[in-house]
Amino acid sequence: MAPTYNIAMVSDFFFPQPGGVESHIYQLSSKLRDRGHKVIIITHAYKGRTGVRYLTNGLKVYHVPFFVLYRSASFPTVFSFFPIFRNIVLRERIDIVHGHASLSSLCHEAILHARTMGLRTVYTDHSLFGFADAASIFANKLLKFSLSDVDHVICVSHTCKENTVLRASLDPLMVSAIPNAVVAENFKPLDYTEPSPRSFAPHHPPPARPLGPHDMITIVVISRLFYNKGTDLLTAAIPRILANHPHTRFIIAGDGPKAIDLEQMIEQNVLQDRVEMLGPIRHEEVRDVMVRGHIYLHPSLTEAFGTVIVEAASCGLYVVCTRVGGIPEVLPSHMTVFAKPEEDDLVTATGKAIASMRANKVRTELFHQQVKSMYSWTNVAMRTERVYNGISGAISEAEFYGYDAANGAGSWSATRGRSGVQSFALIDRLKRYYGCGIWAGKLFCLCVIVDYLIFLALELWFPREKIDVCPDWPRKERKVDGKDAG
Amino acid sequence: MAPPSGLHQSAIPSDFETPFPPLVRSSTVPAGLKSHRADPSHLAPEDAYTPYSPPRRSGTFDSTGTASGTESRAGRARHKDASRSRSRRRKRFQKLLWVKQSYPDNYTDQATFLENLQRNPRVRPYDFWPLVADSTVIVQHVCSVIIFVVCFVGIFQERVSPVSVVGWSSFATFLGWLLWDWWVTNEAPGGWEDDDVRARMIRDGRAYREYRPPRRQDSSGLGSPMLNASTVSISSVSNFPSAASSTTNLLQDHSVPLQRPLHPPGTNTSGGLLAPTQVHSRSASSINTIATQASGAASPTTTAGTAANLIAAGTTAFGGPGTTGFSPATRNRLSTIKSAVLIYFTLLGLSPILKSLTRSTSSDSIWAMSFWLLAINVFFFDYSGSSWSGGLGGAASGGGGGGGPGAHGKQMPVASMSTNAALMASTVLASRLPSTGQVFSLTLFSIEVFGLFPVFRQYARHRSWRYHVVLTVLLVLGAGAGVGMILGDERGWPWKKGLLGMVVGCLIAALAMGGCSWWLIGLQKYKNEIYGPWDPARPIIISRRHWDDD
Repeated sequence: MAPTYNIAMVSDFFFPQPGGVESHIYQLSSKLRDRGHKVIIITHAYKGRTGVRYLTNGLKVYHVPFFVLYRSASFPTVFSFFPIFRNIVLRERIDIVHGHASLSSLCHEAILHARTMGLRTVYTDHSLFGFADAASIFANKLLKFSLSDVDHVICVSHTCKENTVLRASLDPLMVSAIPNAVVAENFKPLDYTEPSPRSFAPHHPPPARPLGPHDMITIVVISRLFYNKGTDLLTAAIPRILANHPHTRFIIAGDGPKAIDLEQMIEQNVLQDRVEMLGPIRHEEVRDVMVRGHIYLHPSLTEAFGTVIVEAASCGLYVVCTRVGGIPEVLPSHMTVFAKPEEDDLVTATGKAIASMRANKVRTELFHQQVKSMYSWTNVAMRTERVYNGISGAISEAEFYGYDAANGAGSWSATRGRSGVQSFALIDRLKRYYGCGIWAGKLFCLCVIVDYLIFLALELWFPREKIDVCPDWPRKERKVDGKDAG
Repeated sequence: MAPPSGLHQSAIPSDFETPFPPLVRSSTVPAGLKSHRADPSHLAPEDAYTPYSPPRRSGTFDSTGTASGTESRAGRARHKDASRSRSRRRKRFQKLLWVKQSYPDNYTDQATFLENLQRNPRVRPYDFWPLVADSTVIVQHVCSVIIFVVCFVGIFQERVSPVSVVGWSSFATFLGWLLWDWWVTNEAPGGWEDDDVRARMIRDGRAYREYRPPRRQDSSGLGSPMLNASTVSISSVSNFPSAASSTTNLLQDHSVPLQRPLHPPGTNTSGGLLAPTQVHSRSASSINTIATQASGAASPTTTAGTAANLIAAGTTAFGGPGTTGFSPATRNRLSTIKSAVLIYFTLLGLSPILKSLTRSTSSDSIWAMSFWLLAINVFFFDYSGSSWSGGLGGAASGGGGGGGPGAHGKQMPVASMSTNAALMASTVLASRLPSTGQVFSLTLFSIEVFGLFPVFRQYARHRSWRYHVVLTVLLVLGAGAGVGMILGDERGWPWKKGLLGMVVGCLIAALAMGGCSWWLIGLQKYKNEIYGPWDPARPIIISRRHWDDD
């Protein structure tokens, strides 16, 4: 019987706010519940959403009252979260605290407090950061602070892993690359028929209606229209693509500060009949927009994972995207055409994609089934569970990290100190923080000591015995062992 | 392009829910230790946790590695031997997410991990002499601040007559203006010494005007320069009325960015002429500040307005070359003179108010305050001088009201803060002086030193390197002599002290310029820029290629 855990997901970003991190947390938690774990989510209070809520599947959400600073990231007060966090953790008997998103100060605080309380911590990074500008340097220092004493880190792509390892000076072995996933059922192509489960022959969906030379090819773009989403590239490329290829048109969904540029481009080039701007759409409508097209164009300049291109491929769209960040890792080459983030190359790549669509060389009708087998939240939950097992000692350290911990002083003490079961001692933690920098190290140590003192004070004032333990939502039974991977 | 999907079907495992292969010891340890990465500039995984390990000299591991990593590498090497036979059977690790890997998630592949990392790819090593040459700009400014302070001390101790100070400086300003005017009129028809600069400028101006046109006919980004040159001349004629209009609304600091969109081609194509506009408007606004500070009773708007008027008129005059016709140039000169007279009398009227401005404040606070204000002036001064020397086009587009890259736009408030601080310092200092005449002299002097002189210096530097050097030497000598004379007591012969001061000043300047340059070059070895696939890509867009370059 594999162990089950009580897990607290902590992030500033959660429903009702839409977004990638939010749905990641929701899907992962829900699948972890399916695997028999208990999962609660801690986030800050949103407008009209306070207190404790239950979501589908018995998912409990704590909306902690917190001052929201900017774009729903809460104000970073290093210690003020501790009392209520401790209360929640004790009420729910949490074993593992899992923080999400590097810009969420709630997550970093939770990791710090959880370590003070002697809990296991995991952190998931969803974004890429540079090293050059002042804001990044500051953010990286803070990340280093919070990740100095974390048990394991999950990144959504290998590029993201490299970035996080560099930013926080981590041992690469304590960083796992576990991708996002999509709910393939929500992103079916138009007229898609489920393969009958009883037929043993490989499923071949009927080939899509072949495109004639004069049929209209629709290129879909769904993104927030920001600079870093490559809207400038898009604005420059659209007139050239449309000029090179008659019988093509664009559908652009999304909103942002660069929308005005696009509109200006449309007016300047008189393309109103060939470029359709839908404005902002909700996540539920994404599929309905996608299935109207044949090609999905993604001109982003930086992307940790790029869930949207997986969604597009799942809808049976041929994907044209820029070769940046983690995007090259996400889809196999027969589903994508890669371009450099240059106007010329983007035009060329789109031209190639249109040509091969016209030649009917791309079996887009097979994409859905393939994507479904590549990415699923069940798989993500399974792999995350392995991380939980590894840090809580259910898998032996040697097995998890792949080296012999008993090797004595000769082996990797850095890793062992971080992952080892015995490493909650304050002095060990201080050692880890001290290495963060000449000044920062001492400052961080001070923070940790203060945090520890607050912890002691809380133990005195609000003793553990006085805190009610809340009854659990009935747990799901783990599925049959044959399908179980643990 | 699109291979038959059957091929790929095999790559996608159908047995999706299968557990991981049994994890064995060292399954996560990189197997391929014969490193493919001969490039020592790449980081290896162990670089992440051995904080100060130097870049690896060779691509291969051996157990006699550097001291910090010896044990761990030796440990790995042992594992390598143990697991080699096992790892052979596996598929190679691929840095892909859609592939079903036969490795655990935290596996770190030695061959591909951080393979795209670049360290210091764009570092340009500094050379000593160019660095020293560049530092002359700072030396010049520091020296002019010192000279200002020396003059104040001289006036304050009543060793120098304020009238002589302001007389000589006004004479020098007048000479400078004449010289400027002469240069500018010489330059106007034949234009820039540098055809390259001109071409770039034209391109910039064009890029600004044509926002994002369809780029089919000239996708090379270099249109016919002649055609654009004609636009240039037209628009530069149009520069005049716009500059004149700027005189009216220089009252707020915002007016410069506000008015600019009205005549973007003019500002762009008249190139460097924009910079005086900025500088003058800066000083105008700062005079505005003074006026509002000073005017407890007096009407601030008129005084500030006239002050701004002078400065802006100066702009118009300095902006003259763009206006090729004869009469506008003369008119500009006339209006400059008119404004100069106006500001002269305004200051004269304002001096009694300034004199009693800080009577209730103790002198200590005034010294401390003026020190900090002058320090702010020195630290936030716009030394780039890009408007004249290197990036003429860049400055032109930057001045074009947000038309260029944002960096130029951001510099503006900082630079105006510098001038503001200096003028405020001079105001509070002047308020310590006992007589109205002294106050008037010092304020006028400060406007000349902090408002007009930097413009002249920049222009001289742009104009000829020789002028620049001569000016630097003169300033250093002057500052040294001044400090020497001030420090020396009054009894002795001041010229001897002055000479000594000159020598010491030259020594200090040379030492500072050389020493700081050498230090900066020495610091370069700590430079560690990291670039990789996680950095936002810099899009290359043809229609705006030259924007992204600078």
